[in-house]
Amino acid sequence: MSPVLQSLSTELADAVESAGRAVVAIHARRRIPASGVHWRPGVVVATHHTISRDENITVTLPDGTTAPASLAGRDPSTDLAVLKLAGQSIPTASLRPDAPPKVGELVIALGRPGPSLTASWGVVSGVDGPWRTWQGGEIDSLLRLDLAIYDGFSGGPLIDAAGRVLGINTSALARGIPVTIPVATVERVVTELLERGTIRRAYLGIGTQPVRVPESLARRLDLKGEVALLIVSLEPGGPADRDGLLLGDVLLELGGAAVSDPVDVLAKLGGDRVGKPLAVRVIRGGQVKTLQVTPGERPMSRAA
Amino acid sequence: MTAPVTAGLARELAAAVDQLRRVTVQVRTRGAATGAGVLWDGGGSEGRGLVITNAHVVRGDQATIELSDGTGTRARVVARDVKRDLAALEFELCRELVSAVVRDSPPLRVGEVVIAIGHPGGLGGAATLGIVHRVENAGEGRPPRWIRADVRLAPGFSGGPLADTTGRLVGVNTMMQGGLALAIPAVAVEAWVRRSHALVVS
Repeated sequence: MSPVLQSLSTELADAVESAGRAVVAIHARRRIPASGVHWRPGVVVATHHTISRDENITVTLPDGTTAPASLAGRDPSTDLAVLKLAGQSIPTASLRPDAPPKVGELVIALGRPGPSLTASWGVVSGVDGPWRTWQGGEIDSLLRLDLAIYDGFSGGPLIDAAGRVLGINTSALARGIPVTIPVATVERVVTELLERGTIRRAYLGIGTQPVRVPESLARRLDLKGEVALLIVSLEPGGPADRDGLLLGDVLLELGGAAVSDPVDVLAKLGGDRVGKPLAVRVIRGGQVKTLQVTPGERPMSRAA
Repeated sequence: MTAPVTAGLARELAAAVDQLRRVTVQVRTRGAATGAGVLWDGGGSEGRGLVITNAHVVRGDQATIELSDGTGTRARVVARDVKRDLAALEFELCRELVSAVVRDSPPLRVGEVVIAIGHPGGLGGAATLGIVHRVENAGEGRPPRWIRADVRLAPGFSGGPLADTTGRLVGVNTMMQGGLALAIPAVAVEAWVRRSHALVVS
């Protein structure tokens, strides 16, 4: 007899079955459908990168029926999208917002790339603090997974052995490496997308690259940091261009903080910075110059 | 720190694998280890045993099978279906052997733990553990074509058993596709054996 092994098997199948009742298939791209989670009554969460059209979206419910859904908003920076589903009585996902997963915890990734539910298992391979995606999205914690990725993985939930949702899986935020967007981040983005349809982010309209400041220049100008950011692109008519930044300026400080990585710039450009002037220190023509720039609101799918 | 659940799990898993190894054979064609097979009938109808494997594991009409106790014996291909990738091998029994038990019911559930046994690189009776990835919706009166499992299989697993935690056969491992294992459902194999073996015997 195998009481433990069989119980494990039954519990995992039970967890899959109960969590699977809130997992739907989303038809919003060619060929294979993507997955989504019925997060709040009438609200389905999916991944932005698997939704290639804004209209004519349908979902396949766990009972196999198809229903129309409308796009309420999307956030490329966290790869999340929110859909509205009217008049359906399927259960919502049971969430685990507290007790973050631990490294080594047994987890299951669910998907529904069509009428049938799919699952792969593995362990949480890494848990780290807050991180910022390459498009500037703020994610509360970095959850890395050791499990097989398959069709329908993105947009599906990561669940624990009790069937509670730990977050939304995506393979598009970290160069194909599977990560989970934690419940707290999903909650925050869903609320904002339902209210405004987009995630408000400030932007300057610059592209930067780290450069080493020549030692002689650093000494002459009495600079502390060795590395600063060279402005390598400037959006014509963008906030930085309008406020007088030039191509070739070397960015030393933004809003009173030294910058040595493009991520440092993103960190200063939260949604609350739109329209509020920031002090900027740059090296221009061998001299340090201080200017003021007022970040604008970032249009969809633009970087810093 | 003690870990009673994990320790129990390890013990039970070892026992289940041990039991499954007894119904798993290694298949060799022209001296080369080509895959695994399931001991379908070791009960000896007329002193003969029956092994089921993949058609791609046995290319000719002769093969050698090696039982879990290491004894080798010659076997003859009595049925082959390239489309279904199944082959039946018959061999002389010198003693009664345990046969695989097919799980007819209950139906497989997504998330259930499954065990695969095979001989990757000629390594005897290797085991891997995974879960059922997807259970295809069966067509009208037809069993699903594949069982998909989140189990990592190496080439030597072909033709070997995919079993549940009680050791009952749920499928015959056939290939990997997109990181997932594809197994022919045991129920479909059973129906095939009944049909094709009847032809051979009569």
